[in-house]
Amino acid sequence: MPMIEVKNLTKRYRERIAVDDLSFTVNEGEILGFLGPNGAGKSTTMKVLTGFLPPSSGTAQVGGFDVFEAPMEVKRRIGYLPETPPLYPEMTVRGYLKFVARIKAIAGKQLAGEVDRVAAATGVTHVMDRVIQNLSKGYRQRVGIAQALLGSPPLLILDEPTEGLDPTQRAEIRALVKGLAGKHTVILSTHILHEVALTCQKVLIINQGKRVAFDEIDQLAKAHSPSEQPASLEEIFIKLTAAA
Amino acid sequence: MRNILAIARKELSIYFTTPWAYVVFTAMIALSSFFFLGFIQSFVEAQELARTYGWEQLPPDYASYRNLTDGVVIQLWGVVMIITLFVAPFLSMRLFAEEKRNKTFELLMTAPLRPVEIVLGKYLGGLGVMSATLGLTIVFPLVLSVYGSSQSGTAVEWSTVLLGYGGLLLWGATCLAIGMFISSLTESQMLAAFITFAVLLPWWLLGSVLQKAEEPLRSILNHLSFGAQLQGMTQGVFELKALVFFLSVIFLSVLLTHRTVEAQRWA
Repeated sequence: MPMIEVKNLTKRYRERIAVDDLSFTVNEGEILGFLGPNGAGKSTTMKVLTGFLPPSSGTAQVGGFDVFEAPMEVKRRIGYLPETPPLYPEMTVRGYLKFVARIKAIAGKQLAGEVDRVAAATGVTHVMDRVIQNLSKGYRQRVGIAQALLGSPPLLILDEPTEGLDPTQRAEIRALVKGLAGKHTVILSTHILHEVALTCQKVLIINQGKRVAFDEIDQLAKAHSPSEQPASLEEIFIKLTAAA
Repeated sequence: MRNILAIARKELSIYFTTPWAYVVFTAMIALSSFFFLGFIQSFVEAQELARTYGWEQLPPDYASYRNLTDGVVIQLWGVVMIITLFVAPFLSMRLFAEEKRNKTFELLMTAPLRPVEIVLGKYLGGLGVMSATLGLTIVFPLVLSVYGSSQSGTAVEWSTVLLGYGGLLLWGATCLAIGMFISSLTESQMLAAFITFAVLLPWWLLGSVLQKAEEPLRSILNHLSFGAQLQGMTQGVFELKALVFFLSVIFLSVLLTHRTVEAQRWA
């Protein structure tokens, strides 16, 4: 059963079209790399999937529920890290994670354990009692990811999760995301193509709101290689998004 | 309900970790103490005059100085209401504007929360701080009842004092509800505070500003004016009409806030 089913999704902001007739499906347990140049409509697509923005036309379903018709069912199944980590600068990391756990309806008894679990998974255990505004960008990003993992939602939507991290931290987050495969379905948007090649089986590339590629990485590499040598994701990306 | 409380709790914890709550508390205490001392002084002077000349000899407006309740507390409540009008925008401005600016609004809107829970949670949290702010002023009648004296029983007449205080809380809750709605319309906290103030002040003064208006407009405006509606309550007269009026304004503001938050889903 597909975890995500997007059909002919279009999102218009007044006269500007951000997402144009986009369709794709993601199966349970898959990790999908979501690529595209800046302003291609990646974040908008993710916002529609999480129920933050309504689609202008077309449908999006998560776990069989329409994001617009049954938003509560959809929201219960999603852990979401937006472009800007949604943090309250005045709160401590622990206070913040507890708050998010509460609004995600995690039962009181499991709450402290769940907060500790996600903190350990994202490596923020030693900054739990620090105030978020005093943390470095890398730690804030990790707290943002920790928040998305709370309650082990079946679908994780991560908008540039490795933004602002140093190479070591990036490798850690990559490993973390890779470890989620199978149990969780993950959509991961990023600019760093090398990262996608390492963590995802499938990629979706969009340009100016339109789908330009949606396939397994090795299939894409074969299809776009002029010679024997399979094309790198970077070559494919440049080729496909240059058309504009 | 659990979600509402979770949000209210978060709001309170943020109020008390940022300087705003303390700034508002300080302003409230400093300004009301200042006026309190002033009223005490006039009260003492009036009493001395009365002792020398007798109440009958004094102009009729001195009648309120016969006891501490009318002479000090009721006047103080009137001043506290004005202070509330000035500080409420600073408490309400951050409720939604800050979430939008911080992008945390996205967290609330993508969590399994219904818009009504977000709105009520925030309003409840704001009410907590508002009640704490107004709660500070109950110290004044307490001081009077401990140190004051009266020929007839207690120094202050608590039923009148508390009814006035109830009116005060109702007024605070109204300011907060209007401020919350305005905060939900913008990303800028300063703008939210400013507009809230620009709405509250003329609304308060509606009756007196438009004295020259013709009937029946004049009485309609007078009925809609916050100042006129509050008059009875502060003087310790319970008015069902005023209670219904303020509760309607609160309900309408909360409803409009809910609509604004819900509208996000249709944007």
